[in-house]
Amino acid sequence: MIHKTSPEIGGMGHSIKRKEDLRFIQGKGNYVDDVRLPGMVYGQLVRSPYAHARLKSINVENAKKLPGVLAVITGEDLAKANLSWMPTLSYDKQMVLATGKVLFQSQEVAFVVAEDRYTAADAAELVEVEYEELPVLVDPHKALDPSAPVLREDREQKNNHIFHWEVGDRQGTEQIFKNAPAKAQVHAFFQRCHPAPLETCGCVADFNRATGKLTVYLTSQAPHAHRTVFALVGGIPEQNIRVISPDIGGGFGNKVPVYPGYVCAIVASLTLGVPVKWIETRSENLQSTGFARDYHMTAEIAADREGRMQALRVKTLADHGAFNAAAQPTKFPAGLFSVCTGSYDFANAFCEVDGVYTNKAPGGIAYRCSFRVTEAAYLIERVVDVLALELKMDPAELRRKNFIPPAKFPYKAPLGWTYDSGNYEAAMKLALDKIGYEQLRKEQAEKRKKGELMGIGIASFTEIVGAGPAHTFDILGIKMFDSAEIRIHPTGKAICRMGTKSQGQGHETTYAQIVAQELGIPAADVMVEEGDTDTAPYGLGTYASRSTPTSGAATAIAARKIRDKAKKIAAYLLECSENDLEWEPGKFSVKGVPSKAKTIQEIAFAAYTNIPPGLEAGLEAVDYYDPPNLTFPFGTYICVVDIDKGTGEVKVRRFVAVDDCGNIINPMIVEGQIHGGLTEGLAIAFMQQIDYDENGNVQGGSFMDYLLPTAVETPHWETDKTCTPSPHHPFGAKGVGESPNVGSPPAFVNAVVDALSHLGVKHIDMPVTPWKVWSILKEKGITDQADGA
Amino acid sequence: MALKFEKTFQVQEPVEKVWAFLSDPRKVASCVPGARITEQVDEKNYKGTISVKVGPSVTNYNGEVQIVRLDPENHEIEILGKGLDVRGRGSASMRMTGKLVALPEGGTEVRSVSEVNVVGILAQMGSRVITEVSNIMFGEFTKNFQAKLQQPTETPEVQATEATGPEPVKAGSLAWKAAKGLFRGDS
Repeated sequence: MIHKTSPEIGGMGHSIKRKEDLRFIQGKGNYVDDVRLPGMVYGQLVRSPYAHARLKSINVENAKKLPGVLAVITGEDLAKANLSWMPTLSYDKQMVLATGKVLFQSQEVAFVVAEDRYTAADAAELVEVEYEELPVLVDPHKALDPSAPVLREDREQKNNHIFHWEVGDRQGTEQIFKNAPAKAQVHAFFQRCHPAPLETCGCVADFNRATGKLTVYLTSQAPHAHRTVFALVGGIPEQNIRVISPDIGGGFGNKVPVYPGYVCAIVASLTLGVPVKWIETRSENLQSTGFARDYHMTAEIAADREGRMQALRVKTLADHGAFNAAAQPTKFPAGLFSVCTGSYDFANAFCEVDGVYTNKAPGGIAYRCSFRVTEAAYLIERVVDVLALELKMDPAELRRKNFIPPAKFPYKAPLGWTYDSGNYEAAMKLALDKIGYEQLRKEQAEKRKKGELMGIGIASFTEIVGAGPAHTFDILGIKMFDSAEIRIHPTGKAICRMGTKSQGQGHETTYAQIVAQELGIPAADVMVEEGDTDTAPYGLGTYASRSTPTSGAATAIAARKIRDKAKKIAAYLLECSENDLEWEPGKFSVKGVPSKAKTIQEIAFAAYTNIPPGLEAGLEAVDYYDPPNLTFPFGTYICVVDIDKGTGEVKVRRFVAVDDCGNIINPMIVEGQIHGGLTEGLAIAFMQQIDYDENGNVQGGSFMDYLLPTAVETPHWETDKTCTPSPHHPFGAKGVGESPNVGSPPAFVNAVVDALSHLGVKHIDMPVTPWKVWSILKEKGITDQADGA
Repeated sequence: MALKFEKTFQVQEPVEKVWAFLSDPRKVASCVPGARITEQVDEKNYKGTISVKVGPSVTNYNGEVQIVRLDPENHEIEILGKGLDVRGRGSASMRMTGKLVALPEGGTEVRSVSEVNVVGILAQMGSRVITEVSNIMFGEFTKNFQAKLQQPTETPEVQATEATGPEPVKAGSLAWKAAKGLFRGDS
């Protein structure tokens, strides 16, 4: 149980307003494109129109002649400095600027630097590139065909296979399937989608020739990791690199990888000795930077006739595009996909994933998702619904029957994870009651009699977030701990710095509330600063819902170290033994004599002015927190849809989201996170896809085709919560920012399939567009119109 | 992006006159908005340019036109056109078969089937825009074709070519027209 602080202190559980919003709502945020340095020049990338082509020649002469153009860099130029390729986060490598051939449409081919942005853009048009078209591979199923063109000629392995990864008990699982009285199967394609943050990626690289120091203002979710990558790849001494992540307008995983544009801007600044700014356009962002998903999945469940699920078998083909630039813990080529047993108590399971190359943009980043968890949750929640159809059971009842019971936690899942805590039935019951499930089923039955289409979709997801224990998780060898440093000033105010980096999550508020909770210093008096590698302690950054589980924990532990020292100072000031003191947020008092007390502010002042003998001056602490396990947030989402038989349009009538993320720091921020994630989930389920035609042309490369949800499309979200604290986290919290994006897509799709299940529909791939639904209705002969003309 | 268009229109002129026009790539090119034949390589091969502007995006293609099949008896022609964006931003190719059918009342029906393949920046606009742009271009082509057919036969070819000139199709409004087409549901 968390001790509730006063509203003045504003510790955990208080919905205090976000400190950072004061500048954001006034347009006073400082994003990378707001950075303007004296003498700054601009870079523009030349990109390939072809998905697969040999580079025959690049003529930069006309571009160089344009007044204002300072340099044009090609892959050949970078090759001389051994920089034409760079490592990815998945032990692959990626071209910075193409040499030899291009492998996806919009691939980076040359970098033009000019005195202003317009000249740079004009000059990029003047770079003449001669290509020879090569056969294009867009279908990952054909990637392993012997007749398929070998895309990566740079590899020793002369095929398009990247990795095979498997986990679980193949034979044991097969044995159960052989004898299973009931089975269900689903082929589900989680389409290629894109985080599409409002702010695109970009940087300002500023190399100072006099000091030898390189400062890079960067849209980075992981500034320290990027500094180390720059040092290792570029050979620049790490103390001479300073990465600054200013305000970031949304990341969602898109700003974890290192992109060619960053490297080009750095090279240009090193070459020219002036600051170089490079900012992506919207289309460049959608077409070339980290996409998410593109998983072709098959799941099967073996069960008995009463609906007790026994085994799960999963086979997946992962389309990674031209380079395996998935951003994830290095030892996990399919991320944490093996959490695909979800909330259910399977006796056995087996999961295998094969990764392949295609002529598409590289990536496979964790879009608002703890590394492939979104794919896993979607898959298990879909196949459970298919099983319910096969068994003619209510999907809620089937779930309830198979939930991991509370008594079994910590629960060892068949694919290896140890779930920290959970109470799935409680969350589902709350969601069912809130939405009035029984009544809705009655309404649905009546509507079906009248020929109306209404569906109810349930998803009871389990997430796995907060990577991670250092023994298992690293990125290119750097362990996935995270950090916090707290300094208490003489006047009792504080500054904290973390290894994470907010991109809109509200860290400046929530970390301050953790300090407030632990030390009783009002959250208003705590300044949180992230993103400057010269000042913040080393950390792996913010993604995969890891900030609260790691840096949040480090903040609490660092605060407790400070409290321990404060206790010594208080004992000195109150002339008593430490054992005689008791703590309440904000002060130490002598047991039984409440009037004899010292506030944390008085203690802080003494730490600099009246230092106890034998103690160091100052009041500060740093902690590098290595979590003993991941945290496993969960919840049940229920969606009600009505389908228009004339247009195939799906209207989300109601959506109830019950989340359990353990103890909550700021309920308002959590609710905001859930609203945002549900809205993104809605877009993925109904609107978004980065598709390619047979020639590898991007068919979702602008907001004309890649649709963003607005207030018009977004339904009213009804949220609620249960609270099952994490037993191992210092204050019982789990991550939450990604749960709604993980849990909602299956709820939406399950609802649509439920509305059509009496027609024999068992699955529809996302995005569930009106056209797809209308086509099904037409096939079943139940549209309101004879045809669509 | 592969697209297929089937278009049919009728003209007043007799089939032999239409055939004489259709089987001459210079004359046909003079009817295509923004297109021009720049060189005749041999009997069956020509070089030319075409400029297509969709909204803010202008694409200039340098291309080759080849007469794959010419069947005067049945009045059938098959043309293969290939173009490379002069700034290396993509390519397009088209295989077009045309057939003339004499109408009982004396006119001629022109039937064409075109398979178009577009790669590059233009292809990103998606089939709905490309289809609309093609429709608009075909509409203009038909108008020009009919107008030029009616011109006295002795009009020198050069003049016909220069009349359209190398200017891009007036597509400042192409994107807008295409958008309107989309909302009307035309195709």
